Amino acid sequence: MIVATAVCPSPPLLLRELTGGRDVAADLRKACEEAVGALIAAAPDVIVVLGADERSAERVEGRIPLSAFGGPGERVPEAEALPTSLAVARRLLDDLGVRVPVEMGTIAVDAGPAETARRGRAIADRPERVGLLVMADAGARRGLRAPGHLDERTFPVDEAIRAALAAGDTAALLDLDPALCADLLIGGRSALQALAHARSGTPVAGARLLYADDPFGVLYLVALWPGARR
Amino acid sequence: MMRLRGREYGEHESLVMAIVNRTPDSFYDKGATWDDGPAFERVRRVVAEGADIVDIGGIKAAPGEEIGVDEEKRRVVDFVAAVRAEFPDLVISVDTWRASVGRAVCEAGADLLNDAWGGYDPGLAEVAAEFGAALVCTHTAGVTPRTRPHRVRYEDVVADAVSATVALAERAVALGVDPASVFIDPAHDFAKNTWHSLELTRRLDEMTATGWPVLVSLSNKDFVGETLDLPVGERLTGTLAATAVCAWHGARVYRVHEVAETRQILDMVASIRGVRPPARTVRGLA
Repeated sequence: MIVATAVCPSPPLLLRELTGGRDVAADLRKACEEAVGALIAAAPDVIVVLGADERSAERVEGRIPLSAFGGPGERVPEAEALPTSLAVARRLLDDLGVRVPVEMGTIAVDAGPAETARRGRAIADRPERVGLLVMADAGARRGLRAPGHLDERTFPVDEAIRAALAAGDTAALLDLDPALCADLLIGGRSALQALAHARSGTPVAGARLLYADDPFGVLYLVALWPGARR
Repeated sequence: MMRLRGREYGEHESLVMAIVNRTPDSFYDKGATWDDGPAFERVRRVVAEGADIVDIGGIKAAPGEEIGVDEEKRRVVDFVAAVRAEFPDLVISVDTWRASVGRAVCEAGADLLNDAWGGYDPGLAEVAAEFGAALVCTHTAGVTPRTRPHRVRYEDVVADAVSATVALAERAVALGVDPASVFIDPAHDFAKNTWHSLELTRRLDEMTATGWPVLVSLSNKDFVGETLDLPVGERLTGTLAATAVCAWHGARVYRVHEVAETRQILDMVASIRGVRPPARTVRGLA
């Protein structure tokens, strides 16, 4: 049973050590902490983290590889390093002093409908009280200075994702076109569709969007979906 | 030993490569040398200021309007031929990732192919070998030309840069490029965040230790801008600081917008290292 769901983006700059003298992502981090804090406050037995990555993996453990981004600290061998999405999740959970068990896994950015459905249902079917944290990014081609430069096609797609997260609209997330999302560097498409499968069938009431902005050309969305009432 | 256009350079000589953009939209000059007249003026000025090499490019590095092979050739080939005619001894480099463009500019008189996108077109090194041209081998982590870094990560960015550029250099030599004419370039900002570029600068001695001459392209780049929080146009001081550190670590070629300032930095660092006598020393000696 999913008792609450939080959605956060995973830019490395959420790792405070990487943003230099000025904290350029303070507002975003605060919104993420609010979302993850609410997840913890829902008293889950376990927090399940699903993050986008190049490959799918059911269970992932490892360390936050600050060094991979040129940050401080000892070098973390790639084999022991968390994928970026899970590294950001780990940091958010650690900063909030999470006490319950955390299980982390990845879903491939190019995962198809069968896989997103299977992963989503597997989380939904768990008997314990699950707090689901989905690490998912929207488009990265939102301006001339964006990582992926400008692609005008991104605006309606990003808006659809924003509106879906704000409204708890799982059907809209399932409508996202994988090929178009890949073109637009929407890394979170598969994770969001797994979320939609996990939460489909029971209406999502009281969804809240805590952050929606693109200060660096990537659309960051932070959302909190309370659990379905039984 | 380095060899360019038949001339040999000693182990303590460093070279300034002046950027000449044949683009309407490059980040620094914003098209100042798009037309032939200003472009020629730029070449004459940088030669007068002491540039050893001009690096002519027809496509800006950042994303933007797609420039096909024919348009790239139109921008650079005739210009290379004209510069060659006016400056018979000047080393002419062309910044391109395309083998077909490399072939055309070598036929027009270019001496050096600056493969700024890290061997994206493997045919470019073959063209260098065929024409006896020099080659710059850059580290771009295999990215597609004209893409920006997005959350790129490395287990060890310096080790990655060393292994990738040395592999490209060894491949070029195996194809027949003169080993004295192959340069390696860590490619600051390319497939890197600012931390990565700073670390490459700090540990550039690990690249120079390979024995391959190292080229650095630091000029006014975003890693300087982010470090000092300054826009394009206010990054010269930071660029020169990075230049000094690279010089201290033994880099040999500096791809720059500002030639005279760079030359001063290189001379000063060379004198501090003890490999260049000061220009004039009277103080306390009279």
